[in-house]
Amino acid sequence: MIQRFISVVVGLACVVAATGRVDAHPHVWVTMTEELLYTADGSVTGVRHAWTFDDMFSAFATQGLEQKTKGTFTREELEPLAKVNVESLKEYAYFTYAKVDGKRNKDAFLDPIDYYLDYDPKETVLTLHFTLPFKTPVKAKAIEIEVYDPEFFIDFGFAEKDPVRLVSAPASCTAAVEKPHDDNFPITLRLDQAFQTSEANIGMGANFANRIAVNCP
Amino acid sequence: MRLIRGLSLAAAVIVLLVLATSALDSAFAQAGPLGAIRPPPAEGIAGWILAKQALFYRALSGLIRAAKTDGSAYWGLMGISFIYGIFHAAGPGHGKAVIASYLLANEETWRRGIALSFASALLQALTAVVIVAIAAVLIGATAKMMGDTVRVIEMVSYTLIVLLGARLIWVKGRGFLRALHAVRSGPEPAAAETAADHVPHVHAAHANCHRHDHSHHDHADHDHAHGHHHHAADEEEDVLPWGHAHGPEPEELAGPGGWRRGLSAIVAVGLRPCSGAIIVLVFALAQGLFWAGVASTFVMGVGAAITVAAIATLAVAAKAAAKRFAAARNGYGSLILRGVEVGAALAVMAFGVLMLTGTMASERMGMF
Repeated sequence: MIQRFISVVVGLACVVAATGRVDAHPHVWVTMTEELLYTADGSVTGVRHAWTFDDMFSAFATQGLEQKTKGTFTREELEPLAKVNVESLKEYAYFTYAKVDGKRNKDAFLDPIDYYLDYDPKETVLTLHFTLPFKTPVKAKAIEIEVYDPEFFIDFGFAEKDPVRLVSAPASCTAAVEKPHDDNFPITLRLDQAFQTSEANIGMGANFANRIAVNCP
Repeated sequence: MRLIRGLSLAAAVIVLLVLATSALDSAFAQAGPLGAIRPPPAEGIAGWILAKQALFYRALSGLIRAAKTDGSAYWGLMGISFIYGIFHAAGPGHGKAVIASYLLANEETWRRGIALSFASALLQALTAVVIVAIAAVLIGATAKMMGDTVRVIEMVSYTLIVLLGARLIWVKGRGFLRALHAVRSGPEPAAAETAADHVPHVHAAHANCHRHDHSHHDHADHDHAHGHHHHAADEEEDVLPWGHAHGPEPEELAGPGGWRRGLSAIVAVGLRPCSGAIIVLVFALAQGLFWAGVASTFVMGVGAAITVAAIATLAVAAKAAAKRFAAARNGYGSLILRGVEVGAALAVMAFGVLMLTGTMASERMGMF
């Protein structure tokens, strides 16, 4: 009887364990280069993103778009898509999170400006350019910008070369880049978290956060 | 016995998986597209599965490109699609949770569980192919239009899952109340209880009449000799989605056409296409290799079916064990069994509601 009971419990536990885990893996890869825009008085007015999508997603995104020359798209032809992208990104807070002097600044950004898409016919990839202006220009010693998808549908990664640029920043400012896969970066993807549902995804995405830390002493 | 068989089958599948992927891992590590694979940190089982999925998914694009010039790349493409499918079914929106709960709530054989898994996974692949074939190939629709289409199908699929769950709760809830009643109505002979529990409840309102009708049978003997018959009667009520009162006779269901019983679950789960498959199909189309994409999608479906089938087998085994456990303890046992069924039915509905309301993470169609 005890054995039967144990086998029932074990069996049910196996089913729950096998089905309870819900985690997405990325379907879109973004290679990004980031710029922080400074004014003359040393405050940051916004973040300029350049996100290059992987070839599969680029092919998917450009499906059905009109093109004059086969194999390439002009900026004008991509304009409607860029608009859709930027408008849809609003729902995800542009995957951009700001921390000023250690304090998370929710709702830090205005709607994007200067957005457009470029197509690289050689690599067959799209690059989305857009600028997120701060609602009020930020003057702080420490600014952190994180870019990640909490649901981890999109895997953001910094470009290999010059991933971050400080545009017209005071000479004393330095930028450091933290990648989620750096050894010193805390990765706390634990099995018990993975057994939760949506929270697990959120935790997981944050673990893949890419962080830009700017210090202006 | 069946539990052991199920568990050993599942264990064998998992071992094969590990062996296959570790072998392929090294073989394809350098074959990655653009040479820029950055696997996520593989910590724990979840991280490891994620890392593998991402790796295989990215390998698909390189292999499709390679297939344009090199025919032998097709083999690699099919192999990776298969492995990707196996891993990917562990992700959200692939119905394994719904299928497993459905099997827990019902009385199904492991064969049926596997058939259900394969049918729903292949239907998912078919939906993806049909969407891309119609939208992209015929109409020349944009990604946004395809994304919108998928969203509508998604909503239909989740609604069907909610309805399926509601239906199961209705049926299983009544079974539970009957078991509760049987337990409450005092110490009856064990045989009579078992019989009450196994009465074909086609006309549930007259369950008592049935009990009387059957009371002249030799219950103990009946239970053992005609266990199959009870099975079928029990299943009929559980599985027929809407016409419970006028469903086919148990004899019909026992035959080859019996798969129809799981149709509601197959459609509810399988309707929703996998966004990865759609992206792969469109990419293949852009490369002028649409058929390679179609083949890859179906192979992915077979791979996904294997994972879902392994989980389905576990569910069936767990249910069989629960049933044996219940059979050995008279009224309370069947009460527990019915309780498990109600719980599983609630789970089906909960999955549907959570996915419908977007509480439970599902796959997105990109940024559209």
